Amino acid sequence: IMPQKVNLCSVSLGVVGMTCGSCVQSIEQRIGSLPGVIRIKVSLEQNNATVIFDQSQHSPESLSEAIEDMGFESSLSDSST
Amino acid sequence: MTQKHEFEVAMTCEGCSGAVTRILNKLEDVKFEIDLPNRLVWIESDRDVAFLTDTLKKCGKEVKYNGAK
Repeated sequence: IMPQKVNLCSVSLGVVGMTCGSCVQSIEQRIGSLPGVIRIKVSLEQNNATVIFDQSQHSPESLSEAIEDMGFESSLSDSST
Repeated sequence: MTQKHEFEVAMTCEGCSGAVTRILNKLEDVKFEIDLPNRLVWIESDRDVAFLTDTLKKCGKEVKYNGAK
């Protein structure tokens, strides 16, 4: 198996404004379907979203903007690579 | 003349309607009202329906246009 030439990165973003499972679902669906997003897990309890993405297509900033675009407030809380 | 449009948006909670509110607040030239129990959003704007529909769809919910009221 050839190693893939993708630079994966994981980031945790703060998300404010979600109140129910439906909000969580719409974020997971919409952000999760963006090209370059590999995996997304949104937590209602912790008000955050953990995203694994391809660094050549996204940055923590662009993901945070995409969430803001959906009408939720998002912040770059802590990022880990 | 500014038209008043009625949209049906699949909102289920205050979080959903809050998201719609924030999205619409970013547009400066619209006036709107949200009826969460009936899942309706009324928008008064000069913008065309396609633009408003696309804007509402940003929140990730299903959007249906019910016509001008």
